[in-house]
Amino acid sequence: MDNESDWMMDKEHIVKEGLLEKFLLNELSSEEAKRVELAISKDIELKNQFLAMEADFERMAFENAIPPPPHVKQKLQNAVERKGKLIDLPKLSLGIAAGLALLFALSTFWMFSKWRTAQRTLDTLQNQTVVMQERLNLLEENYELTNNRLQIINSPNTIPFVLTGNTKAVNSRAVAYVNHNNKLVVVNPRGLPTLPQNKTYQMWSDVDGEMINMGLLPTDKDLVTLKYIEHAESLNITIEPAGGNDHPTVEQLISYVTL
Amino acid sequence: MRAFARNYTSNSILDEHELLFIISLTLMLPHQKEDSDIIQRIIHKEKDALYLLYDKYSAALFGVIVRICQNQELAEDVLQETFLRIWEKISSYDPEKGKFYTWAYRIAKNKALNAIRNSDTLIQREDLSVIKDKSHSKDSIDISTLNGALSKLEPHHQEAISLVYFRGYTHREANEEMGVPLGTFKSYVQQALKLLRESYKIGVVLVLWIMKAIG
Repeated sequence: MDNESDWMMDKEHIVKEGLLEKFLLNELSSEEAKRVELAISKDIELKNQFLAMEADFERMAFENAIPPPPHVKQKLQNAVERKGKLIDLPKLSLGIAAGLALLFALSTFWMFSKWRTAQRTLDTLQNQTVVMQERLNLLEENYELTNNRLQIINSPNTIPFVLTGNTKAVNSRAVAYVNHNNKLVVVNPRGLPTLPQNKTYQMWSDVDGEMINMGLLPTDKDLVTLKYIEHAESLNITIEPAGGNDHPTVEQLISYVTL
Repeated sequence: MRAFARNYTSNSILDEHELLFIISLTLMLPHQKEDSDIIQRIIHKEKDALYLLYDKYSAALFGVIVRICQNQELAEDVLQETFLRIWEKISSYDPEKGKFYTWAYRIAKNKALNAIRNSDTLIQREDLSVIKDKSHSKDSIDISTLNGALSKLEPHHQEAISLVYFRGYTHREANEEMGVPLGTFKSYVQQALKLLRESYKIGVVLVLWIMKAIG
């Protein structure tokens, strides 16, 4: 009820203060205009009054109309056409831009995947190169060793001695290559039977009845370089505890050869 | 005419008032239907519909714009801008809130007032008591005189309406221009509007009377 009376006052205020004409003439603030607009929409009498005022003002405007020169219409038509094109142009440009962006995105993605593939290939190749290099180094080392040994063995000054096993090692056999010029002794122990882990073969030179240590003979090697002992009369192989012994265990002598 | 209007008002009864009002609105209805069709077409960006609307309303709006601008070239630019604005903003026009012409009038008035504000330093506003129609150079239209029902009113009523409606003055500016208190000025406007209303009603009565006579 209070609201209604407030609203009625508002209506009275609108009419008395001439707010309808001010509203029509666009003189009100947006807040006032909204209030008047609401009042008009709620009250049929106010609405009719406003409609009549609009009609009167319109009629008055027509009675005082001044026809604009024809070129104004022409200018308007040109401007509308231009605006139409301006609206179309951004749409077209936008389409082109979107197309280019898509193309760019696709090509970027394609380049990226290509780059990733290339990077992976490069990584693989680099790894392979490292492995190849290592293998090459190993092969070079092996080749050098083999070549050295071959030279030693093939040298006309090298004398091969075959050490066959005695009754303690019937089927055993080792070959010693002795070069007195270069003072080198190389032994191939492959023909010796494998020993338990706590035992090893050891070679000795006999110089005036004294056994001098030449070194150990591991059976897993193809050629073992040993210490050359001057004036050696014979070469002897014994079985000793793992790590070798200071003096030969004579009971464990398995082979010998006289130089 | 004014005396006749006053006599008519004093002798008329309320029912007759309402009847006349309804009749005058009814006469306006086909007009509005036609407008709403054109407006719908403009919303769908049909340029020809805009030019139809231009043909119908440009003279009425130009009459207002030229009287505010007092400069023909400026007024022509404002008229063009007004219709471009109508072309762009037509979807924001709500027929429930008022007539199309009222909406267009407000745009034209705003544009014209902005134009004279911005051009004050650039263009010397001509003392444009007479505007020449370039296409018909023999004819000239006096913009200082007013025609139709308005011209039949008392000079102070004419001036009050002219200032607020055709010259773009606010009530406050207009009452200072006329040298009367604001309250007095408001009553001038309201009296003038009432007299206009009566004057136009008589027009409707005459139409009805002729129709009746023919019938």
